[in-house]
Amino acid sequence: MARISAGIASSHVPALGAAIDHVKTEEDYWKPAFAGYEWTKDWLRNTARPDVVILVYNDHASAFDMNVIPTFAIGCAEKFNPCDEGWGPRPVPVVQGHADLAWHLAQCLILDEFDMTIMNKMDVDHGLTVPLSLMFGQPDAWPCKVVPLAVNVVTYPPPTGNRCWALGEAIRRAVENFPEDLNVQIWGTGGMSHQLQGPRAGLINAEWDNRFLDRLIGDTDALRHIPHIEYLRETGSEGIEMVMWLIMRGALGKKTRCLHRHYHVPASNTAVGHLVLEPEE
Amino acid sequence: MNENIQEYLAELEDIPGTRVYTAQRARKGYWMNQFAMSLMNTANRERWRADERVYLAEWPMTEEQRQSILDRDYNRMLELGGNIYFLAKLFSTDGLSFVQAVSTMTGMSVEDYQAMMIAGGRSPNGMRSIKDGD
Repeated sequence: MARISAGIASSHVPALGAAIDHVKTEEDYWKPAFAGYEWTKDWLRNTARPDVVILVYNDHASAFDMNVIPTFAIGCAEKFNPCDEGWGPRPVPVVQGHADLAWHLAQCLILDEFDMTIMNKMDVDHGLTVPLSLMFGQPDAWPCKVVPLAVNVVTYPPPTGNRCWALGEAIRRAVENFPEDLNVQIWGTGGMSHQLQGPRAGLINAEWDNRFLDRLIGDTDALRHIPHIEYLRETGSEGIEMVMWLIMRGALGKKTRCLHRHYHVPASNTAVGHLVLEPEE
Repeated sequence: MNENIQEYLAELEDIPGTRVYTAQRARKGYWMNQFAMSLMNTANRERWRADERVYLAEWPMTEEQRQSILDRDYNRMLELGGNIYFLAKLFSTDGLSFVQAVSTMTGMSVEDYQAMMIAGGRSPNGMRSIKDGD
């Protein structure tokens, strides 16, 4: 049977991707941001070795324009191409999907009353490819398959934190019902505090971010009740992306154990947060 | 429904220096944002660079919206319904990074903005609520 063996949370700042693509990760400005991923890269390569990652991210007006705005979209294709966000596609491998698992998840989730949008063709932007680069570096091919799960956090309202957590719980049930023996991880990406617009741009709230990280660990479910307005006021307009981390957390069950934690300000306009969690039975 | 939608939307307008991308803004800025997304391929970027006014004339937006784009006045674009993730295609086409583009909205030079970020970013204190002045 398939199982969710671990969860990873990480920011997906586009500039982190650009720093990798342009060989700048050793520069003084970037070094501390990337240093916090070294533990995880080693753990993924030598210990965890997932077969599939369910990668929760948001599309940044790349695959979805103003004509189609799905709240939860699951990528069921065999592969996903990196898209051109205005400066040409990132020089990263094509993302290989896991259509069997993705379709299984879509069917289970819909019957479990989550009305998923099914994507049979979807280009993926930095929201999905930057976390892959952070965790796997620059391989010729990504070492695992990926089921993209895109969440609308651009046009209001995004899904509530509670709904995201509940979707995570449903994903866990669905994965455990998949007959093939698969080591599945779930990653929640985006955040942490950042605001990319208006005179308030540049907002960072390290204290709030760290309390958020604290509460992803252990058996509390307090985070599912944070209203949108709190993310906006405390962590900047783009801090709302953190609701996506709750899908990851919900999928890890009642209690988690922290294997690794990293926090750094700044990467470009953004606070970088990163956690590696294991479900604790 | 747990939320009263009118109260929910009113709170979104209570954050200093911030324009949350609500349905109202999304409807107003529909064509600005669709225009920005059209810059996701080389052929369109070349046509755009060749003559910005001609390219903009193909999109049914208001003169104000067109002018804000020509002026690269990002705060004005947000006011007129633009969304930063869509507009990112415009500043990326201009060769600007997020830090460079975002700093233009803050009234700070890019150097001062970058220094603020390195020093830990802008504090939320006093920036949380217009009505509470907090």
